[in-house]
Amino acid sequence: MRQAARIGSLLAAAALWQVLTVTDARLWLRFDRLPSLDEVAVRFAAELTTSLYYLDLLQSLLRILTGFAIAAVAGVAAGVLVTRSRRAGPVLLPLLEVVRPIPAIALVPIAILLFPADEQGIVFITFAAAFFPIMVSTRHAVRALPTLWEDAVRTLGAGRRHVLWHVVLPGILPGVFGGLSVGMGVAWICVISAEMISGEFGVGYRTWNAYTLVDYPAVIVGMATIGLLGWLTSAGVELVGRRVTRWLPRGEGSLA
Amino acid sequence: MTTLTERAPAVRGLAFAVEALTLGYGRAPVLRELDLAIRPGEVLAVAGASGSGKSTLLRALAGLLAPAAGRVLADGVVVAATSADRAMVFQDDGLLPWRTVRRNVELPLALRKVPRAERRAAAASWLDRVGLTGSADLLPRELSGGMRQRVQLARALAGAPRAVLMDEPFGALDAQTRAEMQRLLLGVLRETRATVVFVTHDVDEALLLGDRVAVIGGGSLRTVIEVTREEVTREEVTREEVTREEVTREEVNGEDDLRARVLKEL
Repeated sequence: MRQAARIGSLLAAAALWQVLTVTDARLWLRFDRLPSLDEVAVRFAAELTTSLYYLDLLQSLLRILTGFAIAAVAGVAAGVLVTRSRRAGPVLLPLLEVVRPIPAIALVPIAILLFPADEQGIVFITFAAAFFPIMVSTRHAVRALPTLWEDAVRTLGAGRRHVLWHVVLPGILPGVFGGLSVGMGVAWICVISAEMISGEFGVGYRTWNAYTLVDYPAVIVGMATIGLLGWLTSAGVELVGRRVTRWLPRGEGSLA
Repeated sequence: MTTLTERAPAVRGLAFAVEALTLGYGRAPVLRELDLAIRPGEVLAVAGASGSGKSTLLRALAGLLAPAAGRVLADGVVVAATSADRAMVFQDDGLLPWRTVRRNVELPLALRKVPRAERRAAAASWLDRVGLTGSADLLPRELSGGMRQRVQLARALAGAPRAVLMDEPFGALDAQTRAEMQRLLLGVLRETRATVVFVTHDVDEALLLGDRVAVIGGGSLRTVIEVTREEVTREEVTREEVTREEVTREEVNGEDDLRARVLKEL
């Protein structure tokens, strides 16, 4: 029943799109200018046979995964450092708080000036986007750790490093994965935007390029590709998150 | 840190000297200028009402809490930090929820880089001792409260501490589980010869488990009572089989009298 409802709603939306575009409906919104569903489908099938499509796809994936991986490591490290270290906290915290409100996409001019190649600039933008949600959720997770765990482990002979390794890092995983999920989302927004502004390959570049070439079916193909990739990577993060937080009481998983 | 073999077997348990210890700050500290000597290898039950400062005292013995004044000595050395020699068992579940029962028990050995095979063997033997061999691969959330406390006990003892500090470890358990745990504890702790400091608000538990009972109230030590026991053999009906058998157990001498003395001080 629920499955039927899900498929039904998708089919209804698709049918509505098809009717509006085929009949060139102009209901204030100008559907006559949008490609119809069958045009897009034909175009999608054609794209799937070209190597350029996969090249773009790989390029975007490479950029986002590189930026996201750096952001994950740096975000968790910074989040732990500012909450656990008495020396690093006051030094890093104001810096991070000043930079945090700047949308990553606003860093594009800086990235273009700063990095020798566009490629590194795009990875940098992606990193900057994902870094803050990961850092902030890590900070909250560290603060929320029960002191009981740390006390117990210390009376078993644990030093500061042991506590970090055996209590803090495993204990914050549920919270960190919440941040990784959000980070992956904003990373996609920023990698696509950055590709639209600069870049010679990538799904974002290709989509914008299709728009400037008045190739509207290809624009929709690009959008659908971005949606699909975003969904796959988010599902990946969620899957890994579930696996490493299996110890949580049922029904309290951060990603449930 | 010394290893097990380096220690002289005759002095397994730590001796504590609590000297003019004041804990907590301001005009109403939790404990004020408390003096107490804890003998090596004894089981000292610390009884007191909620909020009397008995748990705070335990945290100071563990090195988790710095004194406002005075000091704690363990074998003549000032306690300034936590140590594997002074393991603590908490009322609330102090197990790491992402580690299986076995890996929780292995933890104190893993911290000092004991090889895996040795760790495994030690954990298996402790789990057997507390009757949890079958639960070794379960996560803490899959256990009952009593089982979790048994794992905490096994984990504390796996590190071969010279003192075990227990903060109302059975406080959250139902009466029957509590009685089982008390019996298990008596057996296991006597074998280790570690010094045991056991905090409880239950006078009967204090008398049952303690060689001595220290009563704390109003921020100071009210009295320390020696508990003498003798072995008594008598007939008992075992519940499961309804047969009479000879049972030898320790009984506290003059228990009612002692209970009255403790209650008066509380």
